[in-house]
Amino acid sequence: MPEPALCSAPPRAELLRLLRGRLSEPWPALRIVAEDLLAAETPIDWVGVDADGSAVVVLVGEAGRDLELVARALAHRAWLAPRLRGFLQLAQAPAGVRPEAPVRALALCPAFGAEAVAAAGAAPGGTLSLGVLRCLRDGAVLHVLLEPLEPAPPRPAVARAAPESASFAPEPFRTRLTDADLGLADDDRAEPEAFPAPVGARR
Amino acid sequence: MARNLDDVADYFLPRAGGALVAPRGAPPERPAALPILAIPIGERDVVRSAFAWNLAVELARLGASAALLAPRGDEPSPVWPEGGPGPMDTEVVLCDARDLAALGRAALDLAVARAPECERGFVLVRVPPEWLHGNGDARALLRWVLLFTAGEPRELAEAFALAKAVMARSAGARVGVTIHGARRVARAEESFRRLADATARQLGRSVVSYGLLVDDLHVYRGIVARRPIGLEHPQSAAARALRDVAQLLMEDAGRPGLA
Repeated sequence: MPEPALCSAPPRAELLRLLRGRLSEPWPALRIVAEDLLAAETPIDWVGVDADGSAVVVLVGEAGRDLELVARALAHRAWLAPRLRGFLQLAQAPAGVRPEAPVRALALCPAFGAEAVAAAGAAPGGTLSLGVLRCLRDGAVLHVLLEPLEPAPPRPAVARAAPESASFAPEPFRTRLTDADLGLADDDRAEPEAFPAPVGARR
Repeated sequence: MARNLDDVADYFLPRAGGALVAPRGAPPERPAALPILAIPIGERDVVRSAFAWNLAVELARLGASAALLAPRGDEPSPVWPEGGPGPMDTEVVLCDARDLAALGRAALDLAVARAPECERGFVLVRVPPEWLHGNGDARALLRWVLLFTAGEPRELAEAFALAKAVMARSAGARVGVTIHGARRVARAEESFRRLADATARQLGRSVVSYGLLVDDLHVYRGIVARRPIGLEHPQSAAARALRDVAQLLMEDAGRPGLA
C-alpha cells in the first residue's frame, strides 16, 4: 500500500469542491453564503460570513501566482465593500451579515512568497488573511489540507522627519558586565578631565 | 507503514501557528544563509577594525564560524591578518566590491556558501561609512548593522548620523550599538540611552544595545602584535567585554529576518 504523499492540485473545479468541505476546519466560524460571484472583472470564488458578521471574500489561487492572488483579493474586497449594503437590500440577506462590519478577504494558495506575505501584512487591520492549501494523495483518495498563515506584523515605518511627539520606546541597555569585570582600579575609573566631577564629590 | 492521514501529516505540514516541522529523525534545519552583520568602519580606523576582528574571534570561541568580509582595498590591513583562514574558525575574505550594492552581493554569496558548512556562523562585513550614502539596493547587507561608538558627544552624533543613513537605506534594519571606551558600566549605559532616545524620537526606531567594550592596554598590544585579545589575554577585561558582546550577537542571530 503506497504511503500518502504530497501531490499537485487537481483541476480547479475538483479543488474547489474539496476545499469547500474543508474551510470550516481552520475557520470554524466561516459560513459560505454565495459562490462564483462576478466582481469587476473576475469572479469571487466564495463569499462567506464570519462570526462577527463580516462578509468575507474567499479566493483560491494557483501555485506561483500568490502575489496576483493577494492583489485580486484586495481588489475584490474593495469592490464588494461599497456594494454590500445594496446587495443585502436587493437580495434576501444571508443570516448574520452586518453591512456595517468591515469586509474581509481570505486568499488560499499552495504557497505564499515573502512579497505576498508582506503585501498581505500591509492590508489595513487584519482585513486580508492567508491560508496555505496542500494536496495529499492517500491511495485513491485526495485530501486537501488548509493551514492559516499569519501575515507578518507591519513594521513601523522609518520616519525620516518624524515629529518630536513620535514616541517609540528606546531599547534598554544590555550587558552582563559589572564595573568589577572591567578590571579597572578606582583611579582608572575616574572620568577624564573633560568631565570633571563636581567639587567635593567623592569619586 | 502509515495507516491514515494523521500518521503522516506531521511529515509534511506545519503545526498550527508554528514553524515548518522537520521530518522526524532529520537533522535540524539550517538556514539558507548565515546572518550578515554589517559594521561601518572607516579606512584608517584601527581601533574599530581591531574590535571587529576580535569580535570574529570571540564568536569563533563561542562555537560559531565567523568570516570577516572587507573590500580588497583594505589589504594589507594594519590590524587584520591577510586574506585566508585565521585562528579558530575565522577567515578574512577580501572582495573587489566598489560600492555598497556590490559589497552586499559579495556578503550574500559568502553567507549562502558558508551556510551548509556550519551550524552556527556569521558573516561580518566591514562597510566603508561613506558608501552608506551611495545608490543601489543594499537591503540584504543592511538588515543587521553594528556601530561602535565612544560616549563623547561628537562620536555619538556620528553614530546617530550612521544609524540614520542605515535606516534610510533599509527600513527594517536592526541597528545595534556597542559603546567603547567607557570606564564604568553606568557611563556606557548613559551614552547608549542618549543615542537610543535620540533615534527613537527622531528616526522613529531605537538602536539596540550590544553591550560595551574596553579600550585597555591589551587592545593596543593586540593591535601591535596582530594577535586576537581573546587568545592572547583571555582573562583580560577587554576579552571579557568582547565575549559579552559576542554572546549578545549569538542570542540575536536567530531573530526572524536576520538570516
